[in-house]
Amino acid sequence: MEQAIINVLMRAEPGLADAKVLDLQPIPGGFSRETFRCDVSVTRGGAQETLPLIIRKNPPDVEAILNTSRAVEHDLIEALRMKTKVPVSRSYGYELDAAPFGEPAMVLERASGSGQTSALFNGGADEDQCEDVIRHLCEVLVELHSADISTVDPNGSLVDPRGVGIRAGSWDEYMDTTFEYYIGEYRTIAWDPVMMMLLDSFLTLRRHKPRPMPLAVVHGDFNPANFLYENGRVSALIDWENSRIGDPREDLGWMVLMDILSNTSVMSYPKKEGGFLAYYNSLTGNNITPEELGYFTLFGTANIAVPVHQSVARRIRKEHMLLLPLYLIQSSLPALPAMAQLMGYPGTTA
Amino acid sequence: MNTTPTIDDILEGLIVALQNEIIPHLSNAKSVATAMMMQSLVQQVRQVLPMIDASIANEHNEMTRTLRETADVLGDVAGPEADRIRERAATLGSLADVPVPVDQQPVRDAHARLGYALQDTISDLDVLQRAGHASADAALNRVREYLMPTILQNIAAISVGGGMVGRG
Repeated sequence: MEQAIINVLMRAEPGLADAKVLDLQPIPGGFSRETFRCDVSVTRGGAQETLPLIIRKNPPDVEAILNTSRAVEHDLIEALRMKTKVPVSRSYGYELDAAPFGEPAMVLERASGSGQTSALFNGGADEDQCEDVIRHLCEVLVELHSADISTVDPNGSLVDPRGVGIRAGSWDEYMDTTFEYYIGEYRTIAWDPVMMMLLDSFLTLRRHKPRPMPLAVVHGDFNPANFLYENGRVSALIDWENSRIGDPREDLGWMVLMDILSNTSVMSYPKKEGGFLAYYNSLTGNNITPEELGYFTLFGTANIAVPVHQSVARRIRKEHMLLLPLYLIQSSLPALPAMAQLMGYPGTTA
Repeated sequence: MNTTPTIDDILEGLIVALQNEIIPHLSNAKSVATAMMMQSLVQQVRQVLPMIDASIANEHNEMTRTLRETADVLGDVAGPEADRIRERAATLGSLADVPVPVDQQPVRDAHARLGYALQDTISDLDVLQRAGHASADAALNRVREYLMPTILQNIAAISVGGGMVGRG
């Protein structure tokens, strides 16, 4: 893998010399990619430097949770880095040929800052930074949602990055084709009847479409683990593999659910602004209601639930034997009561 | 409760993960040996779990009978040892037989069929709801009345808290 990393770097910066990979090691970097970190010693413009890197490598297809393209992810990150104020780590490049890395992979700068975002909450070591960090996180999200789609995604690669038939000619078309995707794929995720609450949510979403809103570039996995911070600021939004054109309320809704599952409270901050939604609304003027937030919590949950539970289903059929999908059952089923509440199940408070 | 994956599937998954995802990355022989001991113990659990309840119940009933019949065979021998044997037969040996659990697999299979029937009912109700049948809304609520406490019980059983491992 070392030579493959150097090759990607050299394609990005042909002037680099004397590249040497140091301390290459796997790290827990999310559930959907194999993630490694390393430093690369190089000579750049006659001076020796050390480049801190992250390598995100696809798992084998049968083990993958999300079958999206590292090239699309690279292009998005670089467009955001060059054309917006969204803080991202530089993507040096990607390799779609499986041979050099074993599977398609991309090489990114390892941004400074802490990824231990749980330290911001529940009496954690960085709780004193929480107000400022989450305030900035909200501003970053607004910056992302305000980005011009034609600038960030000039080729339309983010309209249907999973290749599942979603179209985004209008908000209605986006929503309707997404419902078709969710409902059509349910048969592939029904690994046990316990999943019927997800089917109920897909059908409920289709029956209760909310008011339209202009489509935007959405992060797609905006959750408490997908940002780095330092000195009271977000130093990088990370993990863009599920980014796409969508409804901006999806990111907010997904954060609501992941706050619950992660035992964090992003949505309660910045407290001085009345919480994340209130601050987002004040910055955008979108006036997103709690009811809409609830709707898109369900919608965003469905968006992630489909590929996650397809992965679980493949594991249960023993198409592969990774442990992760079995753990995902334990860690994802607790989302169901929150979904039931959002659907107004009897015995829950809507 | 979800019946898939089975408890045995999860235990098998632990053994395989130790083999494929842990042991190759261990750097000393003692850790490897410990991991292999863990595999062996998990395999033991896989083997014991399906039969332990029935075995315990069967053995309970066999032991009471054995205590009684041992005293009977001993007959009218005198002395404190013989008295204690007869005492045991009269007390513990007289405990009533306990029921031996039946094979749960047929129950689990029927449970799954019923679950998928409810799932299909949700799909059919959606068609009726979109066609404007108000009673379909109420009917869906009846299905949801069953689902809510069921899923809460399921989650209470499987949850261990602590957020998502490996995600910051």
